[in-house]
Parts: sequence; C-alpha cells; structure tokens
Amino acid sequence: MSQTAQNKRPIEKAADIIRDAGGKIVGRTRLQKIACLMELAGVGYGFSFEYHHYGPYSEELTHAIRDAYLIGLLNEEECSASWGGTYSVYTTDVASVLPPSSPQKILVQLAVDADPIELELAITAAFLGSQGEGNPWQETENRKSEKARDGRLERAKHLYEKFRAVNSPIPLPPLE
Amino acid sequence: MFTPQRIRDPLHNLIEFRPDEFENAMWSVIQTRPFQRLRRIKQLGFSDLVYPGATHSRFAHSVGVFHTARLLMKVVKEHLGSQYRNSRAELALAAALVHDLGHGPFSHAFEYVGKRLKLKMAKHESVSDALIRNSEVAVALNTLGSGFANDVANIIGNSGPTNIYGAVVSSQFDADRLDYMQRDRLMSGTQHGMIDFKWLIANLKVGTVNTGVDEKSLGSIDTFVLGPKAIYAAETYVLGLFQLYPTVYFHKTTRGAEKIFTELLCRVIQLIQDGKIASTGLAITHPIAKFSMAADSIENVLSLDDTVMWGAIPQMAEATDKAISNLATRLRDRNLYKSLNVRERIVSLVESVAENDRDLIVEKACISVREKIAAWLSEKNADTPRILTDETERSPYKKFDESKGLLNQIRIQTESGQLVDLNERSKVVRAIDPFRVFRVYMADEDLEAKAFLEKTIKEEAPNVTNSPK
Repeated sequence: MSQTAQNKRPIEKAADIIRDAGGKIVGRTRLQKIACLMELAGVGYGFSFEYHHYGPYSEELTHAIRDAYLIGLLNEEECSASWGGTYSVYTTDVASVLPPSSPQKILVQLAVDADPIELELAITAAFLGSQGEGNPWQETENRKSEKARDGRLERAKHLYEKFRAVNSPIPLPPLE
Repeated sequence: MFTPQRIRDPLHNLIEFRPDEFENAMWSVIQTRPFQRLRRIKQLGFSDLVYPGATHSRFAHSVGVFHTARLLMKVVKEHLGSQYRNSRAELALAAALVHDLGHGPFSHAFEYVGKRLKLKMAKHESVSDALIRNSEVAVALNTLGSGFANDVANIIGNSGPTNIYGAVVSSQFDADRLDYMQRDRLMSGTQHGMIDFKWLIANLKVGTVNTGVDEKSLGSIDTFVLGPKAIYAAETYVLGLFQLYPTVYFHKTTRGAEKIFTELLCRVIQLIQDGKIASTGLAITHPIAKFSMAADSIENVLSLDDTVMWGAIPQMAEATDKAISNLATRLRDRNLYKSLNVRERIVSLVESVAENDRDLIVEKACISVREKIAAWLSEKNADTPRILTDETERSPYKKFDESKGLLNQIRIQTESGQLVDLNERSKVVRAIDPFRVFRVYMADEDLEAKAFLEKTIKEEAPNVTNSPK
C-alpha cells in the first residue's frame, strides 16, 4: 500500500477500488473478490479479509462502500437479475489515475471482465492458499461444489494463471 | 444391541434417541469431551447480566437443533418419497448436532478477539472443522462409515445448502434458527419474538428456487418454502427476529460487557505474547496463558470455556497491569462502562429536518462522529481505548441477494403453486428498516471522554445538515 493510500480514509479507499476498475463494478461478490485480489497481489488498500460462506470477505469494505455511497463518493444501483435475485452496480465518475499498463490496472480489469462465479472460485483458492491451505483448489471444490461444476473450476484455474502472469508487487504463487 | 436415551429439555420437553445405529452414534458424539465442553459455554454469552435466566448452554441448544432437524427431515422425507436417501439425511442430522462444536467462550466476543489478533483458532468454523475431522468426535462419527466425519464437516463448511438435506442445516428455516429463536426467548424471559413454530413446520414444503452470483445465474436448488396459509406465521417469524435484535442480542448492557471482555482478553493475550505474563495475574499454566502462547493448538482451544474465563477474573483483578485489573474488576462487579447511543442522540438533534432528508443526514453525521472518535483515540493512545465503539447493522429480512444467500430468503407458495418472495407478499415485512446501532461506551468517571463525545455529536449533527451531498 502506498503512503498516499495509507493516509486515506476507508470510504475513500473503497471509492478508489471502483475508480481503479474503470468506474464501474457489477456485483457485491465481484467487488469483494477484486478487493481481495488486490490485497493478495500487493496493490490493495489495506482491507482485511476473512473466510466467509462466499469466500474471502471484508466486513470493513462492506461498511466503507455503504458509507462512501451515503456521502456521495460513489453510486450504488440495485438491479434485478434474470434469475430472480438482485445485484448491485457500483459506479463513480472520478477517473482512475493509474496508467493502463500498471499491474494494478491490468489485474483489476481482468477481474472486472471475468465471470463472477469463476472469479469467486479463483480468489477463494488464492485466499485459502494464502492462509496455508495445502490443496486450495481441492478445498475450494469441497466448499463450493455446486459452483465448481460444469467446467467452472477449470476455467477459474485458467483465470488465476492470467492473474499470475501480471507482474504484481507480490507475485501470486502457484496453487498446485 | 443399542439402548434408547432420553433428555428432558425446557423447550422441546422430551428429546429421545432411538436404539438404532445412527442415533446411538449421535449419543456417543454427545459423550465426547468437545461436546461436553458445550455445557460450559453459554448460548448468549453475557446476556444473563441483563436477563438472569439466559444461562442456557450451547449444549442444550445443540441437542435442540438435532431434535428440530429430525422434525424438518420428516418434511423432506414426505416430499421426496421413494427418492429419499437415508444416508444423506443422516449426514445432515449429524451436521445439525455438531454445528456449534467450535464456539469459544462468550462466542462472538472471543471471535472478535481472534479477529483483532489474527488467531485462526478463535474462529468457531475453523475449530468445528478441526474437531469434526480429527478428534474423538470423528471417531464416534466414523462408526457410521469411514469418511462420515469428513462428509459432515464438508456440509458445515460448504458455502450454503447444495440440496434439500443441506437446507435442514442451513436455510431460512434451518434447525439452528428455529431452535435458538425459541430457546433464547424462553430462557431470557422476554415476551418479544414469539414464533408459531408448529404452524410453520406444518406448512413447510419443498420448492425449487433459482440462484446465482451477482448478475450470473447458477441454476436452481431445492429448499424450504412456506405454503400459502403460513404467510402470517412468516411475518411473525421475521418480526420476531427483528424484535430479538434490540431487546436481546444487541442489548446495550450485554454488548457493553462484551466490549470490556474483548479489551481485557486482547490486552492479556498481547502481554503474554510479549513475555509479560507476570503483569496479567495469571499463572503460566493457566489455560488462557497456554492459549496465548500457542493459539493454533486445538488442545489449548478445547481448554477454554466460559467457566475458565470467569474463574480467571479474580486473578486478573489482582494483576499489576492497571488496565487488566480495572477491566477484570468491572466485569466481576458488573460495573460496566456507560453507554451513549450516538445514533439516537443525532436523530434527536435533527428532528426539525424534513423526514425525507433526515436519514441521510443522520448517516453522514454518524460517519463524521466515528472518524472524530478514531482520531481522538489515536491522539490519546491509552493502554486500552477510553471509548469503546459498538456499531452494527442487521436486516431481519431482505429480498434475495447472493451476498446474503438463500439463508435469508423466504418464499411463499401461492394458491396457484407459484413461489413468490415474502417481501412481495407482505407490506409489513417490506416496511421493516434494518436495525442499526451506533453506541459508544466509556467509564462513568472519564469526564474528558464524555465531554468530547457530547461536543462532537453536537458539532457534527448541524454540520452535516448544512453540507450538500
């Protein structure tokens, strides 16, 4: 985390994540996983994560996003999904200050473009690996058996390799 | 040859264990050390400081969850008919019995200590998983087949129900919630939060609902839904939870005691880890000291319970470290910090503002006050914070979103057989606002902290009133 980022308030850091993602992130799950990926790769804002039912989750980030919305640092729109549930779309008009070639920008863009279920699987495995889990992909499959089906786990592994190929300050380790 | 076993329970009355292989194995699980430890962990932590009757244990709750799970499984069996798989049902029932095995002393407060100090084995999910897979609990479970214990652990560790059997363990109508809502109400003595349990069970059906992650569909899953005649029982259920939050679970005194305990235990563990055990009042052989020095050891975690903590309080009250001595004495004598409800105070200051704008103004003021408190605490840099903050939010019911999961969804089956969200059928449920708390606690004699808080709240409320969004 840079010195400038360190001095920022959590609400500003939360808004910066949306900004780094090109001004728009679709879905709470995607937001949480992007923020976690940034921390794992050493380009995050210092949010701490722990394992929840839906993989790595930061309560601090949830509160910061809510507060950032309340004071107008970002917008949150609740949309109806075709499958009957709801999801949030976070946007900001503030442009990113990151050069397009920065590892932070490349990583976040990869995550923004990814399928949310495959992203969840990839970041869950990465997080479990960072917590000392011996076989993170197997453990991810155990914990998320429905989501891991239909080739999604394999595609999540492929996505993780794309993240690994980015020259991040903390190199993402191989997971098997 | 198996023997029938019986337990008398204040909520369910007679809970029977049949003389068959499965229930005999469950009875053996109950006899293990990890399960017996739950007798010494109260379900509601410090709530008996407010409700003297609320001393019920996680042991009683866990047995009650098993009993309730069997009732729910009857609904599943009826629905599935010849498709019903006893082996799957037994895994879910075993999971219901052992789901709370990993809870530490004063459950949530202990978890918070672990979170602050990054102690993996203070998290009940991690401890439960380890105990179910690798302890005498696993031995008892594996009498039903090798790998039974691992399968049970996987059900509990899974990210949610993957089939209707799993819905017994985790869904809006899971056995855990159906037991604790009734048990906590009964034992605390509060007259709020009553649910129509028998009617709910009688109207419980199995339905197929869609699921997804963010905008992406994931498919469908079978879970519990309610028949059309249970809509008012469903409303009562949601309202019951809504009432239990402020009156029991987030009562200001209970939370105040949890805050004191959290600060006390954090300071004790940190001093022990820094090699300063002599200043804590504890002997090196004390279970808290052993846990502090090797927090990843499952044996050390198993040695902790509420009684160990209460037993340590008089010793910690004699500590040479003033912060420890002060906090321990306060807990012992129930001389807790005084609470100030920041949110309510701000609301009272902006009453003249138009109702439409008021909520936003209150939220903004809360954010400002929180930031000012953090800055003040950082400037004062005391051994333990002079102002303890309690901020939380709970939505008793919200229309489905994946981050909350199926756990929070109630579907009502209409007369025509369609499934609709309770939110769409009930104006009452739709009208419930989330329960939000922003309180602070400080010593009654800390006049400087009190004056700072009063001044800050008064300053910040009008400030935000004048600022544009």
